[in-house]
Amino acid sequence: MKQVRVVVVGAGVIGLSTAVCIAEALPMCSVTLVADKFSPDTTSDVAAGYFFPSEFPDIPLERQKRWIKDSFDHLLAIAHSEDAPDAGVMLTSGWQIFKEVPANQKPFWSDYVMGFRFMTEAELKRFQDHKFGQAFTTLKCECSSYLPWMENRLRKAGGIMECRKINNLEELNYDIIINCSGLGSKMLVGDDEIYPVRGQVLKVEAPWLKTFVMSRDDFTYILPGIHSATVGGTRQQNDWRLKADQNDTKDILERCSELVPSLKRAKVVSQQTGLRPSRRNPRVERETVELQGRRVPVMHNYGHGGWGVTIAWGTSVDVLGLVRQCVREIQLQAKL
Amino acid sequence: MRVAVIGAGVIGLSTAQSIYEQYHSTVSQLTIEVYADQFTPLTTSDGAAGLWQPYLHANGNIQEIQWNKETFDYLLSFLNSPESIKMGIFLQSGYNLCTEAAAEPSFKDIVLGFRELTERELQIFPGYNHGWFNTAIMLEGKTYLPWLMDWLHKRGVKFYQRKIKSFKELAETGVDVIMNCTGMRSGELQPDPELKPARGQIVKVDAPWIKHWILTHHMKPEFYDSPYIIPGSRHVTVGGTFQIGNWNNQSESTDHKNIWEGACQLCPSLKHARIIEDWTGLRPTRDKVRLERETIQTGATTVEVIHNYGHGGFGLTIHRGCAQEAARLFGQLVKQKGIGPKAHL
Repeated sequence: MKQVRVVVVGAGVIGLSTAVCIAEALPMCSVTLVADKFSPDTTSDVAAGYFFPSEFPDIPLERQKRWIKDSFDHLLAIAHSEDAPDAGVMLTSGWQIFKEVPANQKPFWSDYVMGFRFMTEAELKRFQDHKFGQAFTTLKCECSSYLPWMENRLRKAGGIMECRKINNLEELNYDIIINCSGLGSKMLVGDDEIYPVRGQVLKVEAPWLKTFVMSRDDFTYILPGIHSATVGGTRQQNDWRLKADQNDTKDILERCSELVPSLKRAKVVSQQTGLRPSRRNPRVERETVELQGRRVPVMHNYGHGGWGVTIAWGTSVDVLGLVRQCVREIQLQAKL
Repeated sequence: MRVAVIGAGVIGLSTAQSIYEQYHSTVSQLTIEVYADQFTPLTTSDGAAGLWQPYLHANGNIQEIQWNKETFDYLLSFLNSPESIKMGIFLQSGYNLCTEAAAEPSFKDIVLGFRELTERELQIFPGYNHGWFNTAIMLEGKTYLPWLMDWLHKRGVKFYQRKIKSFKELAETGVDVIMNCTGMRSGELQPDPELKPARGQIVKVDAPWIKHWILTHHMKPEFYDSPYIIPGSRHVTVGGTFQIGNWNNQSESTDHKNIWEGACQLCPSLKHARIIEDWTGLRPTRDKVRLERETIQTGATTVEVIHNYGHGGFGLTIHRGCAQEAARLFGQLVKQKGIGPKAHL
């Protein structure tokens, strides 16, 4: 049977996860990954990569639960294997704290992280002005390691990578197109619903920090990593600036040091900025597009906002299902 | 009043600190001297991983439980100050894994967020079917001891590198009170059949992706004889052994092999970690801590000794509570001798 030629556009965590997922599961597909930016120059590389799910307003809850569960199980298996250091995946525990008691104290995703419970009085005492908190164990996936590790996985599964900017889907001559171009979808497929939410972070050297703190109400976080901790953050809507803003840096350090005073002794190693590809809901669906006189199936997997690392694998598995269906149709067509 | 502290591990230094804190303004001409043949980074305290945690099955010694709690609360109070880093204090969460159901440990109400492990968590650790999770405090001897020495030095405490061979030796120079904090080698100053070494060998590795301590308990009478993994601020301490009666302070390759195999089975991500070196320490083990006064007659001289040794594998865990108690005993002495602002010698 003839190989089904699949192209994935985008080499961030979504593109690579989707490409690996398909290449490993579908031997009858040849997978080519095309992108203008690869690690360490993707948005994913800036992210702390903490598994902190959120709830999207218009996607059926069961589907979101599957995304979250599949993603967590996938990363947990890596964290607890020999591959953990190379893949940049680790278990991490800590607290999510609130200045005001939130309406929803136990979010639906609490079942998917580990050991979720409310914080005790003694635990909250450390955080002035905070009245409520949740303690749990989750995962971190450092894309500066994870993406190269996934690139290796893709190669091992027979996938090919190409560094090329795609401005129009017409440039692609493949049987199936997977669009993982994040913010690029605005131009590539004309999606006006996607917009950047600017996030600036600092990477600091503080090897004594072993637990995470995420203050929800003013979006202040201290997230330990393998070689540095990521502290932040900002959420500037429709802000396309990729350069670091010194006012943001000052503000981040102030807010974070208030929560974790030992940070005053930490060395700032770098300032980084990423533009979250934000959308009301991630777009994970199939579309048929007329290209060069052919009707080509296009699978979209973009618009994950600040939750790309969190649901990358789960949405990839979702897309895999859609691709399987496509392959069946293509092979049926070929027979006729 | 001349006070001589013998021993410069965590017990000796913290005892000196407590005495200074409580009595420097009320006891006239109080001088504190610390004598030791080993100072940081060569003491037993320096090699310990530094996890605050009492033994899982404390033999119901209420006083020791209280001293542990006092130490935890004391360390916790520094957490929100930037000074905490200079002291070697930070928080870390982790797992106590058991091969069978066990009674809740004495520290469950002392540590933060103590809870049972869930099914999913136990699935990560095959072979263990019960356990607990909590957040505890880390206190790294290699940082804490220099901080203590600096603290004492700034306040005029003098240090002497010298092996003290007898209490008499110090008494003859006019020392009024001796704080005996000699840990493992207390027996050289005064034989103590209850004091035994519990040899601990550890492997130090570079594995910064591990952010939890993991202690296993195979429910034998010995503690720390089964694998444990304790990340520190610079490297990860992997153990363990608890060989009672073994005075060998050299690391052995057979122990290394057992420790490493056990740890990699517990935590497969360790497999490719870079091994830095092995280290061996002797835990000064005793049924209970010896913390008491003794008046010692040595020929013509009488000297007051306050013993503070035998803290086994929980010296860092209990140090502050014991130091405060030792200082309290010192205070009793001072009262009895009539020394203080009211006494004029």
